[in-house]
Amino acid sequence: MSLNRIERAQSLRIRSQQDLAAGLFIIALGALAIFLSWDLPMGSLRQIGAGMLPKAIATICIGLGALLALSALRYNGEKLSGWSWRGVIFVLGGAVLFGLTIRGFDFGPIKVPQLGLIVSGPLVVLVSGLAAEDKKWKELIIFAIVMTLFCALLFKYALSLPIPLAPWLLGI
Amino acid sequence: MSEMISHLTLGFGVALTLQNLALAFVGCLVGTLIGVLPGVGPIATIAMLLPITFGLDPVGALIMLAGIYYGAQYGGSTTAILVNIPGEATSVVTTLDGHQMAKQGRAGVALGTAALGSFFAGCVATVVIAALGAPLTRLALLFGPAEYFSLMVMGLCFAVVLARGSILKAFCMIMLGLLLSTVGTDLETGQERMTFGFPPLSDGIDFAVLAMGVFGFAEVLRNLENPETRDVVKAKIGRLLPDWNDIKQSINPVLRGTGIGAILGILPGNGAVLGPFASYTIEKKIAKDPSRFGRGAIEGVAGPESANNAGAQTAFIPLLTLGIPPNAVMALMVGAMTIHGIIPGPQVMTKNPELFWGMIASMWIGNLMLLVINLPLVGLWVKLLQVPYRLMFPAILIFCCIGIYSVNNQPVDVAFTALFGLFGYILIKLGFEPAPMLLGFVLGKLMEEKLRQALIISRGSFMTFVERPISAGLLVVSVIVLTIALMPAMSKKRDEVFTE
Amino acid sequence: MKKLMLGLAASLALAFTGGAQAQGTYPTKPITMIVPFAAGGPTDIIARIVSEHMSKTLGQQIVVENVAGAGGTTGIARALTSTPDGYTIAMGHLGTFSAAPATYPGLKYDPINGMQAIGLAGGTPILIVARKNLEPKDLKEFVAYVKANPDKLNEAHAGVGSVSWTTCTLLKGQLGVPKLNAVAYRGTGPALNDLVSGQIDFMCDQIVSVAEQVKGDNIKAYAIASAERSPALPNVPTTKEAGLPDYQIEAWNGIAAPKGTPKEAVDKLVDALDKALKDETVKKRLLDLGTVMPSAEERTPAGFAALIKRDADKLSPTLAAAPK
Repeated sequence: MSLNRIERAQSLRIRSQQDLAAGLFIIALGALAIFLSWDLPMGSLRQIGAGMLPKAIATICIGLGALLALSALRYNGEKLSGWSWRGVIFVLGGAVLFGLTIRGFDFGPIKVPQLGLIVSGPLVVLVSGLAAEDKKWKELIIFAIVMTLFCALLFKYALSLPIPLAPWLLGI
Repeated sequence: MSEMISHLTLGFGVALTLQNLALAFVGCLVGTLIGVLPGVGPIATIAMLLPITFGLDPVGALIMLAGIYYGAQYGGSTTAILVNIPGEATSVVTTLDGHQMAKQGRAGVALGTAALGSFFAGCVATVVIAALGAPLTRLALLFGPAEYFSLMVMGLCFAVVLARGSILKAFCMIMLGLLLSTVGTDLETGQERMTFGFPPLSDGIDFAVLAMGVFGFAEVLRNLENPETRDVVKAKIGRLLPDWNDIKQSINPVLRGTGIGAILGILPGNGAVLGPFASYTIEKKIAKDPSRFGRGAIEGVAGPESANNAGAQTAFIPLLTLGIPPNAVMALMVGAMTIHGIIPGPQVMTKNPELFWGMIASMWIGNLMLLVINLPLVGLWVKLLQVPYRLMFPAILIFCCIGIYSVNNQPVDVAFTALFGLFGYILIKLGFEPAPMLLGFVLGKLMEEKLRQALIISRGSFMTFVERPISAGLLVVSVIVLTIALMPAMSKKRDEVFTE
Repeated sequence: MKKLMLGLAASLALAFTGGAQAQGTYPTKPITMIVPFAAGGPTDIIARIVSEHMSKTLGQQIVVENVAGAGGTTGIARALTSTPDGYTIAMGHLGTFSAAPATYPGLKYDPINGMQAIGLAGGTPILIVARKNLEPKDLKEFVAYVKANPDKLNEAHAGVGSVSWTTCTLLKGQLGVPKLNAVAYRGTGPALNDLVSGQIDFMCDQIVSVAEQVKGDNIKAYAIASAERSPALPNVPTTKEAGLPDYQIEAWNGIAAPKGTPKEAVDKLVDALDKALKDETVKKRLLDLGTVMPSAEERTPAGFAALIKRDADKLSPTLAAAPK
């Protein structure tokens, strides 16, 4: 969304792409917050309602965002550059996979069985490891196994945390 | 005075038995080792290790737990310096200059300074607790909701000074932090706020989730995009320990940090959180060349780390003398004490003197242990930095995932952390600093709670904040801090200052 | 490290052989006890004390798993929706089992009809406490004072859904002042701090949190809302003695399992709980916390279920009508 706006804004010859995008981002978040807290009562000063602070803070956010966006037209600043989608997808994807598989997941039509650390551990190391440009497959696989074993021993056995190891295989 | 010495003699008599010394050592060691894992902050560490103390006698168990606490605290700072991930709110500040030092090959110096500063602060705080614990309790009782609100306002003004770049952007981040802190079930009315009707959000956003996302994950993403700078230590590794020059530079910040941290630590309701921020603000403001801050200034590690440890320790005062836990870590300590059949309260001091003074003595011993354990470990930690980044970040990730999962045993927390990682990455790309946001987030919850409490008690009158002298004083300080921070912005040299 | 490896190998072997064993030998693997609150809290402490002894009777480790969230309902929901095989149980309390249906409209479990009660682990008396210089000297004066000055007083509680909120809402409902100023705190600790320093006037809370403050004369206790006085605070009268006989409420903790748990598992858990509560060490540790030991009746599934129902009926009307 913001990228479109930025492209459009470029033709206006703004001086700081980064600040303009930042301002718009803050405005968007503030607007989202106001939208989400629309139904919450403001209350009175004597008994402040649940909606008073979120709405007040969100309004200030929008104001500050507007100031920031305007200042982008006046002062020179940095450009937006160098997004690393590779990192975003693999690193964050790896973490999400860990969350999905460690105890299983049941959300609407998606059902993931409870796979435990034995699966989730190597998964997060392998998937996130793909984000590195200089990855070496063999090294990564060995590392994934070693890290998982180490974590299982450390967290499950040495610290006896209630982390599922492999309920489908070991029953724990 | 003689009374204090006899008390301390009793205390050291308890703490210096072979068994208790060993327990303090093991506690500090295990606390450090677990606390140093990225994603595992002190609260998580203590919660994890709490069960292993169940089999011990009460005094031994508490000594070990106190050791775990200091160890975890120090371990958290180690992670902040080495990989730029704060384990808890108080080590957010340490990331600012500590990690920069690490990048310049001065990780050992930063770690050493942190250890020495913490030890000094710990020694002072121990004496403060022993000598002034009981009278200082009254200070905690002077603080009602109105005073806390003003204190939080002051804290937010400090956050402005924290900013490295544009002050306007810092304001944005503080407000965003405040906004995030209002997500979740409203304390006063039980209504859900901005949760998208999603149950896991009903308790609000966990600090660990937010911090790990915007610092830990986002940092990994940032490092991945420019391969040249990502290996934390590309250049040669310098000295492992601070030299005389470093120490000379650190002495005054350590002294100031200790004082600030010790005073703020006594306040219940997490006053200790403000210690490192306040210390950093002061160091940056009185420095001859403030532009060094954020680029590896040793004062920016020495001061806040001392404040952190002093506060961590004086936070025991309300617990030991009143029996009221001032923050989440202390609440865990209450749980630990209760499990051992000691219910903390105003009478612990008279009813269990050997426990009370034994614990105070063990605080000092714990700090000493920390130094003994950590100075040799500095070499090991610095070596860890030489692990190639292609292996380092998957390791950081798996520890973060397990750590976050273990805080509440909720897998969805891990997914949230990933989401905040993306959020943090966008913020970095847009030129925002996440530190002020985290401070806004931590203070936001307290601020709203205290504001509403104060207004209910005053029946809706804002005058309560100015009528009460302590509250008014704090507000005056806030105005002064803010004016000082904004002043350069108003002068003509705007660009120079804004892009320090 | 070697030891750990050996341990791992041994437990792997155990797990495989264990899985192959015939039915009827419950339990064959560790049991998870979900505590829906953070480690170190009152429920967690009771869970750990009781589960330690239960593990001995059952011959399998009971692993305490803290799943905090939404006033304890997140953890209980997870436990009660898990496979009913006796390997996942939960330690809940008054709030999660009796008050939750009225407090949380979208609750994902039904503690009355959709749950297998195991037994009560302990009752924690509730006290009405006030700042030490509040005018009324005893409960009767306090009741009159509250009714005469409903706008003057400030009540503290630890957040909507907490034990202090639940029990105090019941009190205010019974006194006919449901709209009395309530000040919410994040936890009992900060609330107690402001009560000791005199910022607020009164609160209701569990004996384990307030007893030491009462003994230290930092606050005063008007009454204890149980049938009998507590040995921890023998000078504090019961509500019956002090003139408010209807206010009877305890913040108990008890164990439950998902509905459909095999009878064999339920019986063994009930037996293990009973043995734990009869153990002298366990008993002493619980009594030190100010806990009231459950009667033989309350230790049975039927007795515990009846208690849950009784308190739910008592609380529902006031909680549903409470200004939130």
